[in-house]
Amino acid sequence: MDIEKYMTDIKTKFPKIIETEVVNKKRLMIYIPKDLLLEIGDYLFNELGYRYIIVTAMDSKEGLEIIYHLSDDKSGWVVNLNVMLPRNKPEIESLTPVVYGAEWIEREIYDLLGIKFLNHPKPERFLLAEDWPKGKFPLRREYIEEKN
Amino acid sequence: MGKRTVIPIGPYHPLLEEPEFFKLYCDGEIVKDMVWETGYNHRGIEKICQTKTFEQVFFVVERICGICSTSHPFAYANAVESIPGIEIPERAKYIRSIVGELERIHSHLLWVGLAGHFLGYNTVFMWAWKYREPVLDMFEIITGNRNSYAMFTIGGVRRDIDAEQATQLLSVLEDVKIKTDLLVGAVMDDPVIHARLKGVGVLTAKDIHDFGAVGPTARASNVDIDVRRDDPYAAYDMIDWKVITAQAGDVFAKAEVRLLEMYESISIIKQCLEALKKTEAGDIKAKVNEIPPGIGIGHAEAPRGEVFHFVKSDGGNSPVRHKIRAPSYTCIPTFRKSCIGGTVSDAAIATAAVDPCYCCTERMTQVYDHSSGKHLMNSAELIKLSQQKTKELKAKMKV
Repeated sequence: MDIEKYMTDIKTKFPKIIETEVVNKKRLMIYIPKDLLLEIGDYLFNELGYRYIIVTAMDSKEGLEIIYHLSDDKSGWVVNLNVMLPRNKPEIESLTPVVYGAEWIEREIYDLLGIKFLNHPKPERFLLAEDWPKGKFPLRREYIEEKN
Repeated sequence: MGKRTVIPIGPYHPLLEEPEFFKLYCDGEIVKDMVWETGYNHRGIEKICQTKTFEQVFFVVERICGICSTSHPFAYANAVESIPGIEIPERAKYIRSIVGELERIHSHLLWVGLAGHFLGYNTVFMWAWKYREPVLDMFEIITGNRNSYAMFTIGGVRRDIDAEQATQLLSVLEDVKIKTDLLVGAVMDDPVIHARLKGVGVLTAKDIHDFGAVGPTARASNVDIDVRRDDPYAAYDMIDWKVITAQAGDVFAKAEVRLLEMYESISIIKQCLEALKKTEAGDIKAKVNEIPPGIGIGHAEAPRGEVFHFVKSDGGNSPVRHKIRAPSYTCIPTFRKSCIGGTVSDAAIATAAVDPCYCCTERMTQVYDHSSGKHLMNSAELIKLSQQKTKELKAKMKV
């Protein structure tokens, strides 16, 4: 895969892309605003046929960060979509209608980090116990600070 | 819509290694819908990893899965080593591949045994697990442990393989090959197994793409993916081997892929052992001073499919975020496709066909009456039903 050309092409196709960066050997990070997610997700997953791997979410300094990992198995590249959400309103459109396999992980992310996925087909508790206190998210910074 | 019966499978049952819960909604014999519940065994490993040093994380992730206990360290090593861009010594690469493939052999043997049991072929179960023993003993000789080998570290491996161990390993492999021939014969040439497994639990290539399923589950549906070839790591690009695929996408195809993969694994280990002779003994670890700030993404092909690790470092001693995705996490949801529309007696083998890992994702099976909520069947009875179907087939086919 000619990565320079790839990065220019995808930026031309989606001008809303904030930045593209090669983070490691064969690992591409595409920083996008949250309203571009469904459109670019659909393009990569359905048109280019990339394989959905998983979604990582984390509490970073700038806010709540979500990384969608997709794999281009023909070239071995892992293409990642990075969305930053503000801490006061962590909401994003669910990717499940486009990528069916994302159903579980979005429920898990809500459990652990409290990020709300809008229009999720089954927004129910996934990993944590039923009696886990509402509004407590174990991977958030404040939870760790509170515990200490 | 007629009356539906609910068949719960799990969460706690002596037959299941760890808890997980499935509910099958049935209309007569046919499975109409399926609901799963997880979280019975959520251990918070991702969070634990944030409190350990990069070196210690190896021992934590090794304990995610008891069966394929080297696949998680493998993917983690690939992820964390990619941050500073460490090139590990050639000898360490070969040793990593040997351990990885040896694990694939014992894991596939375990699956063949379990699948045999679910179908009522308890002799196959006894055989397969008996043949698996020498492989585990070999692990003890090479790594010091039959399970949780603690073989990997940042920059290489912790133990070398000497000439004497290599000879022992070769003789075990010869034996395993003969036994694999036997198992392949028992499965491929048996008309009852053909009748019982063909067309059962079919997954199409589109289903695989939709769910993001990986490993033998994907390859049995003619989706030609394998991280070992697509994004080579360890020694996989330095040796000659091929990816096994099948067309049908049913349970039989999954069995076929796993059985034939064992031959490939044997061949890979043999080539690695040959290559070890050409590298200098003892050169098994690159020096690593620190892990700089950055992102590491690594994956490895475990016996059940791709294991994925994401590690973020801020330049400190431990990861600030460590995300782990086991293959069963994307393979288990495919049950919705493989079980719905099939019969209850096929559900046990269709779920077993993806080789779901309880430790990695969790599960269980039971049956309820939908209208009364009355408990109808548990996993043992469900397996009995599956075995019964094989028996009836045998009687019908007069074997």
